[in-house]
Amino acid sequence: MKRIFDTQLIGPFAAMVIVALIVALTTERFLNPGNLSNLFLQVSIVALIAIGSTIVIFAAGIDLSSGSMVALLTMILAQMLKFLGIPLVLAVPLILLVGGLLGLFIGLITAYGRIPSFITTLAALIAFRGLALTFNNGSPIFSLDPALEPIFYGKVIGIPMPFFYLLFFYALAAFTMNFTKLGREIYAVGGNPSAAVLTGINVRKVQTTTFVIAGFMTAVGAILMSARLNSGSPNYGQTLELQAIAAAVVGGASLAGGRGNILATLMGAMTIVIVQNGLNLNAAPSSVQNIVLGLIILMAVGIDMWRAEVSTLMRNMFGRSSAKSSTKIKKEA
Amino acid sequence: MTSATPIWEFSNITKAYPGVLANDQVCIKLMPGSIHGLLGENGCGKSTMIKTLSGVQQPDSGQILYNGTPITISDPQAARDLGIATVFQEFSIVPTLSVAENIFLGNMPRSRFGVIDWGKMHRDAARVLTEMDVNISPDAITGTLSVGEQQLVEIAKSIAMNASMIILDEPTAALGEDEIERLHQLLRNMRSRGTAILYVSHRLDEVERIVDEVTILRGGRVVRASGETKINVTEIVNAMVGEDIGEHYPKEQNATDEVVLEAEGLATDAGVRDVAFTLCRGEVLGLGGVLGSGRTEIARALFGTDELRAGQVTLHGKPVRFRREIDAIRAGLALVPENRKFDGLFFNFRASGNITAAALGSLSRFGVLRLKDEERATKELVRDLEISVQAEQKTVNFLSGGNQQKIVIARWLYTDSDILILDEPTQGIDIGAKIAVYELINRLTRAGKSIILISSDHDELLAMSDRIAVVQHGTITRIVAASEVTHGDLVRASANGPHSIAQEAFA
Repeated sequence: MKRIFDTQLIGPFAAMVIVALIVALTTERFLNPGNLSNLFLQVSIVALIAIGSTIVIFAAGIDLSSGSMVALLTMILAQMLKFLGIPLVLAVPLILLVGGLLGLFIGLITAYGRIPSFITTLAALIAFRGLALTFNNGSPIFSLDPALEPIFYGKVIGIPMPFFYLLFFYALAAFTMNFTKLGREIYAVGGNPSAAVLTGINVRKVQTTTFVIAGFMTAVGAILMSARLNSGSPNYGQTLELQAIAAAVVGGASLAGGRGNILATLMGAMTIVIVQNGLNLNAAPSSVQNIVLGLIILMAVGIDMWRAEVSTLMRNMFGRSSAKSSTKIKKEA
Repeated sequence: MTSATPIWEFSNITKAYPGVLANDQVCIKLMPGSIHGLLGENGCGKSTMIKTLSGVQQPDSGQILYNGTPITISDPQAARDLGIATVFQEFSIVPTLSVAENIFLGNMPRSRFGVIDWGKMHRDAARVLTEMDVNISPDAITGTLSVGEQQLVEIAKSIAMNASMIILDEPTAALGEDEIERLHQLLRNMRSRGTAILYVSHRLDEVERIVDEVTILRGGRVVRASGETKINVTEIVNAMVGEDIGEHYPKEQNATDEVVLEAEGLATDAGVRDVAFTLCRGEVLGLGGVLGSGRTEIARALFGTDELRAGQVTLHGKPVRFRREIDAIRAGLALVPENRKFDGLFFNFRASGNITAAALGSLSRFGVLRLKDEERATKELVRDLEISVQAEQKTVNFLSGGNQQKIVIARWLYTDSDILILDEPTQGIDIGAKIAVYELINRLTRAGKSIILISSDHDELLAMSDRIAVVQHGTITRIVAASEVTHGDLVRASANGPHSIAQEAFA
């Protein structure tokens, strides 16, 4: 347990708590049970997709494709349910499979074609949105299946379903990253790819795997998106990829790869959503929300950078006292 | 040659960091036209001293005299203005710029209209390079030059700025023998022109060859300063380590005549051609040759990193073919790469992650790591190899070079590899850590492991190897018993081919 809940979580956790306190103190309705459970619903989709984005980042890659992939997958799901007559119990696993395959495709091109993931996923971001528009003449498909909505809105012992998805997938991701060979290899590849090659790690396979995970988690997000709105649309998921990356960054993941804690991403996502929620409750326009989101990302990275400055400052203060002691030594000599 | 008054005098320089007194009343006098060696183990305060001299930091107390006048060196630019040039271990050249642009970087000659006077810059650069007697074109893109040539460009910068004092921090760490000789010749020329040179190096043999006076630091204090007489390596080592370590190279004879690895006609696209040799159980086979002669490429060919175009490797009598590194690792091979920073270590991991990185398969069951076993094995190896115990808690970027190198070697002790290829295993680590590496080599060969040792330190190579294979132009030209060759033989044998195969590969 010590391994999962390490010191890397302290910062993101503190940030989340501070933000929650500020919002709670300034906004009456924030602590309403209704609002709190709404918070879970709001955070769930981006937080689930962020698992994949973060794991790609751990391996020193970046995934810009998830937002468009959500749109594409909701359209494919809608097509299956509405026009192809595929039952829901079959359609859901099929979408997960398609998500994984799309990730595999991106991963193979990136790792074996030696094209930077920024480029491959940027291309996918554009192309997937276009692909989504080829379904149903580019129009959204509504009223898919009455059995779809409980996937998102259902409750077990009074707790909304998305809470359980978060619990399950974050537990699985934390286990994978901290206790398995794959997790260790992902950190190794992100930390030093050439050293990873020389220790016999199959770097390309590991990189590809991270994109398969990202594609799968995007599919999970897409299913929840469809369930939430009981529809599919080529316009879903705009900037979702950036919110997912923001969650990872606010959680302290290093974009250079190799460093970060997957659970911190959940806290990063929570922090962002709490701020958005607070602004919503205070009827702030969406323009303000976006400006604030931008500032949060800057601050998160800034604090990470200043951490070094702060410790230098402390060292200097400490250093001055030891410099005094050195003059003492000199006098003795 | 030397005049009586020092051009630079640093007296009673004291600098404290939290918890350590890095420099304690250090005095150094630099005479014009003299090469002054600054020596000491890692952590003795050399780097601190260099930082003070080059204006990177201010001393807590002490005085700096320039031609007898007290001055302060407020920052690196002030140091340059005063004629102090520093060639740091990590070069400050821009690889994509031309040699001439690098030489005058930050100080480019301007014409009347404020634009760069390219003609003058090229003429001046060519003049400096001719003066240095080096055959490098001012138009060459610096990144395409060999490491040795890049270093010469770095030195050309200090000549172009008419430095009165040049500080060289480990200038030969990445150079082959012929390049070192060329550098030394250049330094001798600069000395005869009256430049004061401060030479910092781990390579004691060359210090003995080139240095006029030495200052030896230990624990931040000057333990020995010699002005008059030349002192020899044994004396230097004793002064640095603080005790008589006696045998500098504790070589054990553990070689048997049981062949474990045989290579025949190996060739790769990286320039390896027709390489043939055998390696016996318990043997240390040294690969000697200049930088770029193909030693590292032979290692890569053996380890499955570069694909074999021709040839056959036989392991324990069975022909093998390694398509990737993992095949070689599973067959019992190990590679400690030349550059531990770029190719060896995971700076995001503690000792444990670094040590087990090559054995994750056997450490895990159904893909789940056995972390308790990892922790236990790490603890044992850290104790056993006397690695700083900090390594168990902190990521390895906090460790010294010696500790880092031990961790890279520990990785292959953990895999229990039979054949270890050690590429420059003692580069840039202090003498204490070097001896620890030599003792490790003994222990491995005693246990029946075999070692292929690549080293540019000829004394080390001769002392620690059982046989020496001389590598030139990507092939092994001859293999002799280490006892039958001298340092001079090795220099001559490898000096014939000044051009690196890397350059041939570019052409």
